[in-house]
Amino acid sequence: MAQIVIKAKNLSKSYNGFNSVNGIDFEVESSQCFGFLGPNGAGKTTTMKMIYCLSPITEGELKIYDMTPEKCAAKIKSIIGVVPQDNNLDPQLTVGENLVIYARFFGLPPNLYKPRIKELISFMELDKKMDSPIRELSGGMKRRLVILRALLHNPRILILDEPTTGLDPQVRHLIWEKLRELKSSGVTMLLTTHYLEEASQLCDQLVIMDKGRILMAGNPHKLVAEHLSKYVMELSLNGNLCADQFRFDRPKCYTEVYGSRCYVYSDSEQFLSLTAEEFNLESKLIRNSTLEDLFLKLTGRGLSQ
Amino acid sequence: MIEIHVPGFFQRVFSIFLRHQKCYCKHLFSNGFPPFVEPIVFLAAIGIGLGRHIDNIAGMKYSQFVASGLVASTAMFTATFELTYGTYVRMEFENIYDSILSTPISIFDAFLGEILWAGAKGFFFSSAVLLVISLLGFVNSPFCVFAPFIGGATAVIYGALALIITSWVKDINTFNFYITGCCTPMFFLSGIILPINELPIIFQKISYFIPLTHSVNIIRSLLLGSFSYSVFYDIIFLAVFMPLCVSLAILCIKKRLIV
Repeated sequence: MAQIVIKAKNLSKSYNGFNSVNGIDFEVESSQCFGFLGPNGAGKTTTMKMIYCLSPITEGELKIYDMTPEKCAAKIKSIIGVVPQDNNLDPQLTVGENLVIYARFFGLPPNLYKPRIKELISFMELDKKMDSPIRELSGGMKRRLVILRALLHNPRILILDEPTTGLDPQVRHLIWEKLRELKSSGVTMLLTTHYLEEASQLCDQLVIMDKGRILMAGNPHKLVAEHLSKYVMELSLNGNLCADQFRFDRPKCYTEVYGSRCYVYSDSEQFLSLTAEEFNLESKLIRNSTLEDLFLKLTGRGLSQ
Repeated sequence: MIEIHVPGFFQRVFSIFLRHQKCYCKHLFSNGFPPFVEPIVFLAAIGIGLGRHIDNIAGMKYSQFVASGLVASTAMFTATFELTYGTYVRMEFENIYDSILSTPISIFDAFLGEILWAGAKGFFFSSAVLLVISLLGFVNSPFCVFAPFIGGATAVIYGALALIITSWVKDINTFNFYITGCCTPMFFLSGIILPINELPIIFQKISYFIPLTHSVNIIRSLLLGSFSYSVFYDIIFLAVFMPLCVSLAILCIKKRLIV
């Protein structure tokens, strides 16, 4: 049986009377990629900050390798690598200097950090940037550097807070590739993301959070299979078409309407095609339902903020 | 149970110190320019210029009187700027502390390292001023070699005071109140420009509570090689005030950063 690395029980955090995290329970096994999904303000980053001991917990229990943040913060932080939401690199230093200074924070001696930096800088394909100032790096390079920095001390747990937000697809795929390599090397990863594709690609287990609570937990593919029909047809409603027409007398399907868009879910692709033909729908899209559909179903398609 | 290596306390504090030292030394020429040039400008303008109109003051030339005070005031100003504007920029604009605090470094390690760095800068600035005024012939005693250590202690105290202010401000412009409203009056009331006993009685009383006054007294004694019993009280004042300020400063910044 896999070892439980992180265990949270009734974990809560409140700031100035506002409950940012509201009694959540989860367990992360070693070498797993565990995802935290949720809209902005769901409490994902706060949960991460409690795990890497930056934010004290208000209530409940949190254990990392059987250590509690209150008593063993330095020990816990020594085995965690953090990739925060913002690239908080030291702008006054070069790429190489950033890495050396950061390695020293972990007490690594030069005979350990020098070969490690050399190895990681080629792993992240930043070899040529060693002497560049931070301001000369592109957004993607900065992100890769922050991930590299988090790996310097060979962490057992890697926390990735929205690792690919704001990056172009090439860089995103490159980072996913590197993260998969890390996962196969046995690093336990915690990932928060808005990209549902990212979660489907990388996570073994995930929780969907909203307003500080966990709405659903499980394997991403199983969750979609359990909670949604297999196919979805997306179409635009216009003057000739009314959503009620779909709702009426069609027990095999489930319909959601958001503004002028309509989503018709069904386990039968053929049924959706026939429906489209019956209503003479031209601008329709029939596809497999995804984690994104489940996410939006749970957290709502409108803005909550 | 897994085996975990955590760096020791001194290693953690020193790693922060090294970070600041590295950033400072990257622009050593421009950063090292002020402590050498400022005393020359100041002495030329105030000491020598005004000094021609003033006879001896406290038994010495006016320029010499001012020069000895500058060894202490330079430490106060450098530490104040480092832990007000410097810390605020690192905290709010560069988010450096978020990255530091996600390593085994605790808030206590991080800011103790930062205050000690301010102390080191104070030592360096005092040494530079001391060198300049020695070359100008304002130093009489070999005890002057201890003056930079008092400069360092002054910088630790003023660094800690600055950190208390930084832990409280919400906008970088608020520092104007502290620097113009507190540090500048402290400079004028600490016996650098005018002997304390020539100040109105109320200001004499206030000046006793200003750490810079005590630093100036000690440094002036070291530079002239003439000591009175009051230096003993000055040393005690700094020795008691320093750990109090440092502890309070770290407590305040912890309250701000750890939520």
